[in-house]
Amino acid sequence: MADSRAAALWGQVAAHAAGQGRKVSVADVCAVAVSSAQLAGGWVVAARGGDPDFVMCVTHPVSERLAELQLTLGEGPCHDVLASAAPVLAADLGDEEFARRWPGFAPAARQLGAGALFAFPLIVGAIRAGVLGLYRGSPGPLPGRQLGDLLILADAATVMLLGSVHGDAEDGDGAALDGQAPDLALHRAEIDQATGMLTVQLGVPAGEAFVRLRAYAYAQDRRLADVAGDIVSRRLRLPRDQNPGGGP
Amino acid sequence: MDTDLLSDTFVDLADTMVADFDVIDFLHVLTDRSVTLLAASAAGVMLADPRGELRVAAASSEEAGLLELFQLQNDQGPCLECFRTGRAVTATDLAGPAPRWPRFAEAATRAGFATVEALPMRLRDQVIGALNLFRADPGQFDPAELRIAQALADVATIGLLHERNVRRREAVSEQLQGALNSRVTIEQAKGKLAERLGIDMDRAFRMLRDYARNSNQHLTDVARDFVTAGTADFPPPARHQPNR
Repeated sequence: MADSRAAALWGQVAAHAAGQGRKVSVADVCAVAVSSAQLAGGWVVAARGGDPDFVMCVTHPVSERLAELQLTLGEGPCHDVLASAAPVLAADLGDEEFARRWPGFAPAARQLGAGALFAFPLIVGAIRAGVLGLYRGSPGPLPGRQLGDLLILADAATVMLLGSVHGDAEDGDGAALDGQAPDLALHRAEIDQATGMLTVQLGVPAGEAFVRLRAYAYAQDRRLADVAGDIVSRRLRLPRDQNPGGGP
Repeated sequence: MDTDLLSDTFVDLADTMVADFDVIDFLHVLTDRSVTLLAASAAGVMLADPRGELRVAAASSEEAGLLELFQLQNDQGPCLECFRTGRAVTATDLAGPAPRWPRFAEAATRAGFATVEALPMRLRDQVIGALNLFRADPGQFDPAELRIAQALADVATIGLLHERNVRRREAVSEQLQGALNSRVTIEQAKGKLAERLGIDMDRAFRMLRDYARNSNQHLTDVARDFVTAGTADFPPPARHQPNR
């Protein structure tokens, strides 16, 4: 059931990119997140060393100001999301809890017209790629179905963002995707275990191991979970000089 | 029912919860205790992910056959039914003819289990997951045991949501996602350690957990520091700022 939902959302992302006449990018995921959950705008901030670093994309000027404001003030949902490795769902920015947590950001964000703010970590376990931030003018919760969709879209953005950082420079974020839906089977223990094993086998950081695992599965036209299972059961080792996207 | 064991268990769990604790480590203790206390063969806590999956947060054993049984319950089985209805669900005599969940029954039988019980983890009107108990012997858990099992499931819920105030409804979702990501971090750390030392995942988990306990750190923090460290040496070189 989760797979078909992911496929449907990916279809929307691909259609959005096609409508813009470009290759799929994180900006398309951001735009679909805004439209699918009927929000006012969104942004993606890339992280470095576990902290928010720079704004990658925004849907329009207010989103940009909300994103920049957090980086300038050094506080806000982006920082909290990366620190706690969990989403921040501020359904009502006027709630005293948020005024207390972000004494500078919360009032300023409300002045910019944000009533509710939802921020999702673009992370996989210990790997922290960035934050997807979204806002709406009026306060109010996210219905459960929209929350699920946004989590799936955040997974897609994470895969793309990591691909663009660690993937083959020529392929950019297309390395793991090439226009196809990313394998979003993020939640099998073997995939996470294999990622950890590859940091040692390949001598690379976890983010790169994550990308190399996917690139290998993609290049071999195999399911990610199957490749991960082979690595965990020690039937498969990836060679150190394995070129992402290249053959064995 | 061994009442000494029962009181020890609740004293231990309460002791953990009044201090600062790691959610996944806590849920592991809870599944271990469920096995001992209820004469079960295995136990696990599954949490509902709004993405549309039930995901394992902790299990009494990392044995692959058991984890497969949890995974399978995304399609069918007592855990899914328990999650959907919010009620305790019993599956007895899994090896018998015409089982209710054929694929689940077959996998459970293959793994050596005859009885499975799923108990809801409820918070107000929400079901956030389920505690699963597996037994090798056929036959029902008795009513007194089931009351204890439900109490353990409730303790799991409280433990999971303990860290932050849950006055805001959204805080529950935030907390669940945080716990699920902790589990991912721990899996990554297990993989790195298992590869480094040439050991199995179960052993790697125990090493990480023991090191966290002995050095008074959260299991998730130890796992994250190890995964992000530039070296695969374990224990990792000291650079401990227990941040969260």
